[in-house]
Amino acid sequence: MKRSRPRPTGRLVVFALLAFFLFWWVPLSHVLPEWVPVSFGTYRTYQASLIAMWAIVALGLNILTGYNGQISLGHGAFVAVGGYTAAILMVDYNWPFPVTIILGGVIAGVLGFLIGIPALRLTGPYLGIATLGLALATPQILKKYDGLTHGTQGINVRTEVHDQVGVLRDFMHDVFHLDFNNDQWIYFLALFTAVVMIVLALNIVRSRIGRAFVAIRDSEIAAQAMGISVSRYKTMAFAISAFYGGIAGGTYTQVVGYVSPESFNFLLSINFLTTIVVGGLASILGSVLGAAGLVVVPELPGLVSFIPGASLPAELSWAFYGAALILVMIFAPYGLAGLFHRMMRIRPAQLLRRLGTVYESGVGALRRALASQGQSGSGPEDRSSEDRPDAKR
Amino acid sequence: MDEFWQQMITGLATGSVYGLLALAIVLIYRSTNVLNFAQGEMAMFTTFVGWSIWQWSGNYWVMFPLVLLLAAALGAFIERVIIRPVEWAPTLNIIIVTLGLFAILNNVATWLWGGIPKGFPAPPEIHVVGIKFFGEGALDIGPTVISYHDLTILVFAVGIMAALYLFFQYTPIGLAIRATAQNPVASRLMGIRVGRMLTVGWSLSAAVGAVAGLLIAHLILLQPPMMMGVLLYAFAAAVLGGLDSPVGAIVGGLIIGVTENLVGTYTPQEWLGPDMKLTVTLMIMVLVLLVRPTGIFGRRTLRRV
Repeated sequence: MKRSRPRPTGRLVVFALLAFFLFWWVPLSHVLPEWVPVSFGTYRTYQASLIAMWAIVALGLNILTGYNGQISLGHGAFVAVGGYTAAILMVDYNWPFPVTIILGGVIAGVLGFLIGIPALRLTGPYLGIATLGLALATPQILKKYDGLTHGTQGINVRTEVHDQVGVLRDFMHDVFHLDFNNDQWIYFLALFTAVVMIVLALNIVRSRIGRAFVAIRDSEIAAQAMGISVSRYKTMAFAISAFYGGIAGGTYTQVVGYVSPESFNFLLSINFLTTIVVGGLASILGSVLGAAGLVVVPELPGLVSFIPGASLPAELSWAFYGAALILVMIFAPYGLAGLFHRMMRIRPAQLLRRLGTVYESGVGALRRALASQGQSGSGPEDRSSEDRPDAKR
Repeated sequence: MDEFWQQMITGLATGSVYGLLALAIVLIYRSTNVLNFAQGEMAMFTTFVGWSIWQWSGNYWVMFPLVLLLAAALGAFIERVIIRPVEWAPTLNIIIVTLGLFAILNNVATWLWGGIPKGFPAPPEIHVVGIKFFGEGALDIGPTVISYHDLTILVFAVGIMAALYLFFQYTPIGLAIRATAQNPVASRLMGIRVGRMLTVGWSLSAAVGAVAGLLIAHLILLQPPMMMGVLLYAFAAAVLGGLDSPVGAIVGGLIIGVTENLVGTYTPQEWLGPDMKLTVTLMIMVLVLLVRPTGIFGRRTLRRV
């Protein structure tokens, strides 16, 4: 039996785009430091690392919400579990950081599995609000049981990734003459984790499990009739999704270097949902695009000031962000990924033809305007014969 | 025992505010199946408008109806301009649109009025046949005292509930709104202007939310983030009562308000207590949902193959 495969060019473009989005910051800051403000380098590196971390959460949440149809407004809780596991194990027990990230993911995954069981009874907005409760409870729990979590003051984690990649560092130095600082190493760590998780997600959604998730989302009863155990796959989706959240939390600890109860407030969880809807539901590409969008868009009002003469009140940056959300939802209902796929479908020839039509109608409108201005007394008959380019075709 | 009754009364009063906002949420959910995350910020915004009007006119009873009208206009505007273009989009998309609205309203309010908390007046006292209504002070009712403002809140909640009941039950437009919520396609075939009914629903909801904002602003100071906590409790209340039941919203609000107060007072301080009252309240909500997945008064959804 021949399997239908996605067009190789399409996938190539997708991955080129992924690479671009994840990579373009660091080379820019590294190669062209004089083009940009002094702080650009480290800050952009930090931002790129954050995008990688957000992409991991978005992937997990998209598996749960986009592919399996269960809404979660509480993924901040899983990220908090991963983040705190990494922070506590590293600071209080001196564990090496790769182990803490993976362990954070596993603990979050188990928690996700346990939460997935009661979640079986709830659907739609009821599940959404119940999980929102989880997000709300997280900072309170972290503050209250401060014996383990260090309470409101949070935990400072300084990860010296730089010192722990000896062989790799020497290799980069000897072969490419590249010396990365600690921030850049952390960025590569986040990027590596994100790539591993992307590949894993691509494989999950194309496997038997992924197809079961989608079948359940589209119709639980039909899926059941096909022999799919609905409860098993729904809790599995929760566990996988929470595992992603935990891994992202461990990455967060390395990237930001500080965890506190307020890092994981409920707005974070709501932002995760925003990320996947803006990026595109049930889309791996969408998760990554959404993550990039969410980190970058709040900065755009600041970029406006680079255009001479243009300015936007800085106090209104959040309103700008809100307006951007609304506009994306109105004009790209399937998110950035939907927009991307729509653009991919446009053939160059078609695009040229369309541009030609736009040009012609523009010229026509201009001519009409000029004509009506110049000969205001002329009748409608000669206008229609003269100004419509399509009439001659 | 006094403390218990005191906590009950306070819980009922704050619970009424949660209930009112939950009612506003339910009004929108019933007709459009959308959780409106901007509901709290809409109420906050109109309360700020009320503050400005109060500063300008100095009269609470001029401000109050004016705010309700403006809130209704705001609700209608939001429905027509922002929600209408995504009317047929998936539910999650509309939720994201309301989140965008949340950001805009919150930010614009901070921009216009500043982030400094402002005192907000309580309704001034009125004497009708020698009985005092509204105003400051407290009323002695046997086991405990109840402050006049708490009483005002309770009265408003019950009054709005009754008014809405009459509106939905006995007016043609109320009937049309109910029909639209139940079956938009059939309603349109019967000649109901479905789009207009949705607009009216949003207006009503915004007005009810505005009352909640005006009443709570006296208890917690007027400031841009003031409705965020209230909104979360209101969501819990709406879900607890059942998202399609207006009665459920008020009952859910009262339950949440009372539970929150009792949990804060009567649970062990070392590992629960006031710091954890939100967590415990939400946990109780989830437990109730596990028994009744569509809330206490919610309609069971039948699944058809």
